[in-house]
Amino acid sequence: MINPLRSEQEAFRFLLWVGAVAVVVIVVVLLLRAIF
Amino acid sequence: MESAATAVHGVPGHGHDEHHGPPTANQSSRVDPQTLGMLLFIISEIMLFGAFFTAYFFIRVVGDAPWPADGDHLPVAVAGVNTAILISSSFTMHWALEGARHENRFALRAGMLTTSLLGLTFLVIQINEYVHIGFSPADHAQGSIFYGLTGLHGAHVFVGLTLLAMTTVRAFRGHFSAKEHRGVEVPGIYWHFVDVMWIVVYTTIYII
Repeated sequence: MINPLRSEQEAFRFLLWVGAVAVVVIVVVLLLRAIF
Repeated sequence: MESAATAVHGVPGHGHDEHHGPPTANQSSRVDPQTLGMLLFIISEIMLFGAFFTAYFFIRVVGDAPWPADGDHLPVAVAGVNTAILISSSFTMHWALEGARHENRFALRAGMLTTSLLGLTFLVIQINEYVHIGFSPADHAQGSIFYGLTGLHGAHVFVGLTLLAMTTVRAFRGHFSAKEHRGVEVPGIYWHFVDVMWIVVYTTIYII
């Protein structure tokens, strides 16, 4: 499991993970707004 | 012949090889003190951002206020470019640390310098955004929390830039090696934290 506070490497991997989740959230929100 | 220290303290056989000063502090954690300090600091920062996000969601969800306030416009595209700039700086930060780990001085120095410049660019664009955005924190609750959250983050970028500046100077003085690079690692963790927080701030304030 990633612990972003353990090392820079894990913090960087966590950043990429958060970025990916944010992209998914943004796409879902924009799709829902376009539909409804 | 007795040394001056021995004469003062009255301790015979007090040679230079022995420990001077106060006793070494007890270390109960497996994490080194510098990393542990940053870890605890970041945890407290998460709570601080949490308080600001609580105010933001209170205004939008409980208060059911329009976002942004009527007549206001948030520069989503410019902030998006700024987001890309900040995330790029995390990649260069990672490159710098990998450079330190592999004794690649060019990667370390170029990585640190680029990270600092990208961070500075982010801050300048943010200030420019404040100048042209058209509303102030005093206008309405939405304005207060917009400036509050983005300003809180901007302050963290400023602190991060200060750390990066010190690390960059040390990198150019040849302070880091494959064995000793904690001075790059700890600011790196902080810088990634600042970037993660911005992704959350950008997603909630500008997009959602």
